[in-house]
Amino acid sequence: MPGVIAILCRCCGQIDPAVDLAAVREKIAREDGVVSVEVRESLCLPEDGAAIEKAVRDSGADRIVVAACSPYGKAGEIVSTLSRLANRPQIRLVDIREGCAWSHREDREGATAKACDLLRMALGFFRYGARSADAAVPVHPACLVVGAGSAGLAAAVSVARAGYPVHLVERGAAGGGMLRMISRVYPSDAAADEKLRPYLEEVERNPRISFHPRTRVAAATGFAGDFKIRLASEVGGENVRVGAVILATGAGAWLPRGLYRYGELRNVLTLMELERRGREGKGAAKRTVFIQCVGARCPELPYCAAMCCPSSIKNAVALRKSDPDAEVTILHRDIMMPGHILERYYRNALNAGVRFVRYDAEKPPVVSGGAQVERVEVFDVINGISRTIAADQVVLSTPLVAGSDNARLSEIFRIPLDRYGFFREDYPLHPLETRMGGIFLCGSARWPVSSGEAVTQGEGAAAKALAILGRERISALSMGRMPEGKFGHARVENRFCTGCGNCVAVCPYEACALQRMGPARVSRVNKMRCRACGSCTAVCPNGTVQMPEHNARAVGAMIRRAFAEEDFR
Amino acid sequence: MQGPFQDSPRPVDGLPVLVEGGGVAGITAALDLAAAGRRVHLVERSLVLGGQVLNLDKVYPTDSCAFCPLWTDIRRLRRDPAISVHLASRVIVEEASAEGTLATIETKPPPIAPERCILCGRCAESCPLHAARPLGEHVYPPSFFMDETLCNRCGRCIGACPTAAIDLERNEERVSLKVAAVIRASGFREAELSPLPEFGHGTHPDIMTSLEFEAWTAEAGRNEGRITRKSDGGKPGNIAFIQCSGARDDRLLPWCSAVCCMHALKQASWVKRREPGVDCWIFYTDLRTVGRDYYAYSLRAVEGAGVRLVRGRPGLVHPLPGGGIALKFEDTMTQKREIRRFDMVVLNGNLRPSVGDGYPADAALGQDACGFAAEPADAASSAFQGSAAAMRILTCDGGGPCRA
Repeated sequence: MPGVIAILCRCCGQIDPAVDLAAVREKIAREDGVVSVEVRESLCLPEDGAAIEKAVRDSGADRIVVAACSPYGKAGEIVSTLSRLANRPQIRLVDIREGCAWSHREDREGATAKACDLLRMALGFFRYGARSADAAVPVHPACLVVGAGSAGLAAAVSVARAGYPVHLVERGAAGGGMLRMISRVYPSDAAADEKLRPYLEEVERNPRISFHPRTRVAAATGFAGDFKIRLASEVGGENVRVGAVILATGAGAWLPRGLYRYGELRNVLTLMELERRGREGKGAAKRTVFIQCVGARCPELPYCAAMCCPSSIKNAVALRKSDPDAEVTILHRDIMMPGHILERYYRNALNAGVRFVRYDAEKPPVVSGGAQVERVEVFDVINGISRTIAADQVVLSTPLVAGSDNARLSEIFRIPLDRYGFFREDYPLHPLETRMGGIFLCGSARWPVSSGEAVTQGEGAAAKALAILGRERISALSMGRMPEGKFGHARVENRFCTGCGNCVAVCPYEACALQRMGPARVSRVNKMRCRACGSCTAVCPNGTVQMPEHNARAVGAMIRRAFAEEDFR
Repeated sequence: MQGPFQDSPRPVDGLPVLVEGGGVAGITAALDLAAAGRRVHLVERSLVLGGQVLNLDKVYPTDSCAFCPLWTDIRRLRRDPAISVHLASRVIVEEASAEGTLATIETKPPPIAPERCILCGRCAESCPLHAARPLGEHVYPPSFFMDETLCNRCGRCIGACPTAAIDLERNEERVSLKVAAVIRASGFREAELSPLPEFGHGTHPDIMTSLEFEAWTAEAGRNEGRITRKSDGGKPGNIAFIQCSGARDDRLLPWCSAVCCMHALKQASWVKRREPGVDCWIFYTDLRTVGRDYYAYSLRAVEGAGVRLVRGRPGLVHPLPGGGIALKFEDTMTQKREIRRFDMVVLNGNLRPSVGDGYPADAALGQDACGFAAEPADAASSAFQGSAAAMRILTCDGGGPCRA
């Protein structure tokens, strides 16, 4: 029967003076299940790795207790190496350097006793500790991209070029998203249609891309490597199986009803309406006033939508270029042009003769006129004066808002939304990844961005999808972020599960679900989705859900050993 | 992920890719390339991976510690057999040819070899000049390092080291590699503020750049998050944060450094949390809060924590003979000019790309760059830019040479 091997580190003489390793060795060797105890000069030097691996293999042990330094020193690395052994041993690390030798330098007997206690606790843990069984699924080497705007097109084309089939699903009749509604893109001022053309051509030409226009995602089940997606369109439905999902649903426009006499005076437009006029070759006016932050950075929509300042500046410069006599004024609260490209774009507008007037949110501009807009009154805070600006056209710069389909898709894919309705990433440093493995975000579905940045994010999300699509099989334990893999996954003991559903309610990853078993319903944990957070084990009323790697009996055994007065105290 | 799991192995093919820079952008690019089956050489100038995030105590808008998620990424990177990491290294020659790029990497191995250091501290005990010390709280791999500006090569540490980790005479090593493409992720550094004497940087210990202030007040730093003056250790009554100092200024950096508005709001909020009595003033030009929850974060700082905003860039920062620092400024929203005494001044904005003189005027030239090397970017933007740079290489058919 496999047993326990204990490996004690001398740490090149850092541990011996304060801990009697010979005594520890003798005591530990007598414990149940211990097949060998090794004392080694060091464990973490480059030459040690192979020797330790050999010692472990020769001992035939399936459980290893390593007594060395703190996991924040070098011991974490030793554990990481050992955890990669083919038999996936259980490993416990005991800190006998910082925790014993260094902190009890003056008390050799005490330090030795503490080291023994810690080792015995680890051995106690091993009586009930276990390792989660791994499970692997074949990867369906195809990708679903939801939304065919800038981000979705870039993602779909990238994945297809890398060699994988893509299902590109679009709610509308054609791809292109917002680029179809605007005339030019900043900062290059290239025509939006020109930007779009190569992508649309590739979607049509590349046999790996199946384009599904006028289609919605109706349902989705599964997990990274194997999602089953139900697509619904007017002509019927279709089921597809994919290994990864990229959400690129974009954002929606917001109409400033009741603000600045929009819908009441002629020629009070939104920025998107001006863009549409621009596409039709219209929209020129002698005197244009842009008003920024209309409906944004206010209590109703307390955010900055990032692309409204550059878009207004782009249109303002275009108006000045097409007619050098045109008067163009931008009323703003802060000019949001971060970085070097946008700052240069802003300065270019100043040089082109666009006027910028800063207003105070407390004293917003007033638009007036008869049937047609005539003037805008504004308090110029920088100069401390009120200005009346004659205007033939007033452009209201409104923010992008969350797409109308986000709430529905959030339910289907179980991706949380933020308070504004945009999809939320897992963590700011991992901005394209979601809480659900295998589902990625890009573009304005995540947060309002320009078309250029949407393309960048689309490419980035494609890279993330490739990490899954490139493998034939994907295993549950390989899905963690740590180099050692995932800690484990929760397991339900069917006999005791009462089907109360507490675990289902708290699981952040939708890994727990109730299933019928005979007359009763019991909880089941999906290994591929479980991220080993342990929430279910905390709320289970009778301890039926456990993490094998950290189960209650093993921890109990450890605690008992910590306090039991035993032979060698 | 390589390990004893039931995965299938990743196919690895094609020429390797060279990633210059081991910050968030470079780490992300390297991990994504390796996960998709490419070999990677990552070249980092310093002794550790992590880049500027290592200098940040907290990240906005969550105010959480940045290091733990980054640390797991770094550990995954170091343990990935497809990724070779070259620390203390730089690329000295690059020759492009039809089959790829021939790159020569020069490495200056540190006197204390991290792979042999067991963190026992005997070198530090033996060093009379305090040149040997731990590298920092937040580093991987953990190791002691030798400050070569202090070391006089007496060699006492060599005898004290139990693992023969120390060699004070290590020579530079060079290795030449053929790579398919290069990703530039060399990040940012602080620009010298001496061309702008009106900000007074260097004239008083309490006039600091924002990264100096971050290190001074870091919870994980030696001050353990306490807010004190550097000059005398006393509690400051007020702190001024000056935005765009050095940035959006043709005399030094014409661009907006993009991260500093949120950075100042974060630091001011932190000061308010630790010391609600300290008055925090942020002098800004445009308060650029464009990311998710950034504007709400600024509202919390201003309306919730009581951070004061003044629109205007101070014209003079001057140490006062009796202590404190005078600021001369105009609040451009009220046209009031004022001279006010502050206890500490934090200068924000002087960030420039680590490599080169600035940014190319033609954005298309920077196609192989990501993160701050491409465009002033915060950690989150650097992360997705790194992924995108990786993808642009992966989409070149056949894994052969191509431009990123």
